[in-house]
Amino acid sequence: MNDAAARSFTYLAYGLTAAWLILVVYVLTLVSRERKIRAQMNSLQRMLEDKERK
Amino acid sequence: MREKWLYGLGIVAALLLARNINVMLVDLPDEAFQGSIFRIIFFHVPAAFTCFLCFLAALVAGIMVLAKKNLQWDSFGVAAVEVGLAFGAANLITGMIWARIIWGIWWTWDWRLTSMLVCWLLYAGYLVLRQAIDEPTQRARMAAVVSILNFAVVPFVFFSIKWFRTQHPQPVLYGEGKMDTAYRIMLYSNWVPILMIAAILIAIRMRQENDQREVDALRREAHAF
Amino acid sequence: MLFVRQVLTIAAKDLRSEIRTKEAINASLSFALVILLLFSFAFDPSADTTREMAGGLLWLVFAFAGVLVLNRSFARELPNDCLDALIASPLSGPALFLGKALANYALLLAIEIVCLPVFGVFYNVRWYDQLPQLVLVILLATWGMSVVGTIFSALTVNLRLREIMLPMLIYPILIPCLMAAMRLTTVLVAGQPIAGDEYAWLRLLTGFDIIFTSLALVLVDFVLIG
Repeated sequence: MNDAAARSFTYLAYGLTAAWLILVVYVLTLVSRERKIRAQMNSLQRMLEDKERK
Repeated sequence: MREKWLYGLGIVAALLLARNINVMLVDLPDEAFQGSIFRIIFFHVPAAFTCFLCFLAALVAGIMVLAKKNLQWDSFGVAAVEVGLAFGAANLITGMIWARIIWGIWWTWDWRLTSMLVCWLLYAGYLVLRQAIDEPTQRARMAAVVSILNFAVVPFVFFSIKWFRTQHPQPVLYGEGKMDTAYRIMLYSNWVPILMIAAILIAIRMRQENDQREVDALRREAHAF
Repeated sequence: MLFVRQVLTIAAKDLRSEIRTKEAINASLSFALVILLLFSFAFDPSADTTREMAGGLLWLVFAFAGVLVLNRSFARELPNDCLDALIASPLSGPALFLGKALANYALLLAIEIVCLPVFGVFYNVRWYDQLPQLVLVILLATWGMSVVGTIFSALTVNLRLREIMLPMLIYPILIPCLMAAMRLTTVLVAGQPIAGDEYAWLRLLTGFDIIFTSLALVLVDFVLIG
């Protein structure tokens, strides 16, 4: 009985971890997207400044 | 200003979740037949509700894109679909883990799980379609049409798979019947922080989509001159 | 009346061009026969259990082969800017859509009529036992495929990777329609008429057809014109 209960708990832990992991992965994709947008904006900024100087 | 709202919401959600998890693990008694694994229902079911709420939001966004031609609605649509897919995936994975422990197999073609899988593939197609179109207005239009057609088929998918599967012998499903009051309260109260998290993610993603669109437009302009 | 004339003109044009070149229909038919053959290697075609899968198999074949026809539907208008000409013409979007859906319907039915006897021969299935009801099921389900396929064909016509996008987008949407058709066909091909509970599937097919035809008619202008 104790054995089954222990297994049950372990799988519960796996399950909750998996569910939250998926959300964490999604948040990470959001973060990477944010970084990409910042990089694009910075390069655009630089390009415009170069053009202005010329 | 908007940031403050999002952070505030995030903190409230985190606090609620912490409290819920505490109650869930410590106070609630074990379910009679299934043991502790049953507690996964407190994330499994709200994730499904949230997923379909997000798809409903995508439907509204699609209709508004076609009606108002305002691309803000398009950003809302793609954010809603992505977050919906994330919660749908969480539902599927927790469902599979639950199935593994209760029935011994990872996948059982249970009608709820199967319907969720089909809907997940439906909306994954929405995202793939978006990637194939570069021009923002055309992309918004096509995506809106697809989100409307997808949502229209969701009820059909559920009913048809439910009828299909109940005509075959089934493993004994977890009880759909009366749940103990304490459990039911916990189920509903856990839905609240999960909805908040979904709202926060949608807001962030929506702003990112708007920013990305602006950056793309600026790039086109910059390269043109 | 003008609407009906427009629809029939488009349908006739598509059918005529297809019958003259026979491109899509040949490819689709060959593909269907090859799949029927391939499935026979996947399991024992003479076993009793195959009888239970018969309906499912048949509709899988129709679905896979049908996509080839559906893809061509709007794709054939791309060369020489024919699609732009059609959109600029006095033809309304719904008329264009309905005409093409009818033409696709006819082509899909033609393929299915050829496949059915071949299927009966390969898998030793008496499909003619409940013929009227089988015909009804085929007519209803094929219309569902045609309508959904045509609207998505219009949607994907300008995309790169159109041939991959179309099946990927329409198969999940067609799942209820195909499931109903598979279930009913399995019952009918086993010699039993549709009875009792099975009527729910017929109602589902009809509902699916009505809802998606209406939705497609409403949305087609947004897809073609914007």
